[in-house]
Amino acid sequence: MSAEIRSQAASRYEQDPITVWVEPEDESCQFPSLNTVQQLLNRLGLGVNDALIIRNNTLLTPDRKLQPGDHITVRHVTSRG
Amino acid sequence: MKCKRCKEPAVVALPSHHTGFCEPCYLQFFQRQVKRAIKEERLFTPEDRILVAVSGGKDSLALLWQLRDLGYNVHGLHVDLGIPDSSDRAKTAIAAFCDQQAIPLHIVSTEEAGVAIPDLAERIDQPVCSFCGKIKRHFFNTYAVEHGFNVLATGHNLDDEVSRLFANTLGWKTDYLATQGPLLPADNGFARKVKPLYRHSEFETAAFCFLKGIEHVKAPCPYSQGASFTLYKKLLNDLETEQPGRKLFFYQEFLRRAKNSFQDHAPKHPPIAPCIRCGAPTSAEICSVCRLRNKLATT
Repeated sequence: MSAEIRSQAASRYEQDPITVWVEPEDESCQFPSLNTVQQLLNRLGLGVNDALIIRNNTLLTPDRKLQPGDHITVRHVTSRG
Repeated sequence: MKCKRCKEPAVVALPSHHTGFCEPCYLQFFQRQVKRAIKEERLFTPEDRILVAVSGGKDSLALLWQLRDLGYNVHGLHVDLGIPDSSDRAKTAIAAFCDQQAIPLHIVSTEEAGVAIPDLAERIDQPVCSFCGKIKRHFFNTYAVEHGFNVLATGHNLDDEVSRLFANTLGWKTDYLATQGPLLPADNGFARKVKPLYRHSEFETAAFCFLKGIEHVKAPCPYSQGASFTLYKKLLNDLETEQPGRKLFFYQEFLRRAKNSFQDHAPKHPPIAPCIRCGAPTSAEICSVCRLRNKLATT
């Protein structure tokens, strides 16, 4: 197998990361692989109702699938003052 | 996840209610919870003139929107705290919202009243939250009474109420437990105070604002770091994750089964009389806001 074909095959398995924008901290982070919103909540140490999870201006429930390359907003809901 | 009512895809999951809703059904659920709170606790009627305290956050704007939608006679009152950047952003968001919704808005400036929060924070050695709360309550009540509003509504939600109940219980503050609840009747120069969102969690009001497209302030108050209620909210959220529905149960059962047993501990207020400086009701000769104003003038 040529180097070029090996590179193409490998890139098929190298997924685009999921980019997460966290509010109100206004911080960004990336996760190489996440399958669901629940997995994202777990990675961030959040409960189901600790934050709104938003994709393309739509709210997502914890069971929803995430796709490589998704841009997700995590909006914490606990008010502080 | 499917919507419990119509089986369309859900956008909001509510483990505390063992359910999930699509957008239209969630908005209906939200409205019904507010109506239930008003009815069960007899908070007010369509004949009342209601002044809603508006900070620019999700809770107060959601409350204002929902009460107006239900046909109540509501006006907004914003107390401008005079905090650089933060207060300007809040005022802009509130003015835009009220203008768009055609809701009358009134603004009271703490700076013009001689008690701007940054000045007090710099010169008075007390937690900012303690005197900020006093100042807001003072202006909300004074404005309501002077302008003929018989009900003063705030956007306190279930998380606010449960964390306060938790703190009062941890400290066995029986005098506070005797009076805590979504309704504080009018008394001695104080307007009736109500909390129609007491059945809704912060998540629920945030989801409501998102779905209705209500632009609200998201940044925390710059002086709020280290406030104890934030710690209690986190503890209670962890508990809620393990035991969904625990917060609402704790609060509802307190109202139903426990609150009355603290009535003998209700605070025996000294006689209330008008402040000799500003006329606001006070148990001292000079009210707490006029005392703060004095302190600023002499330090």
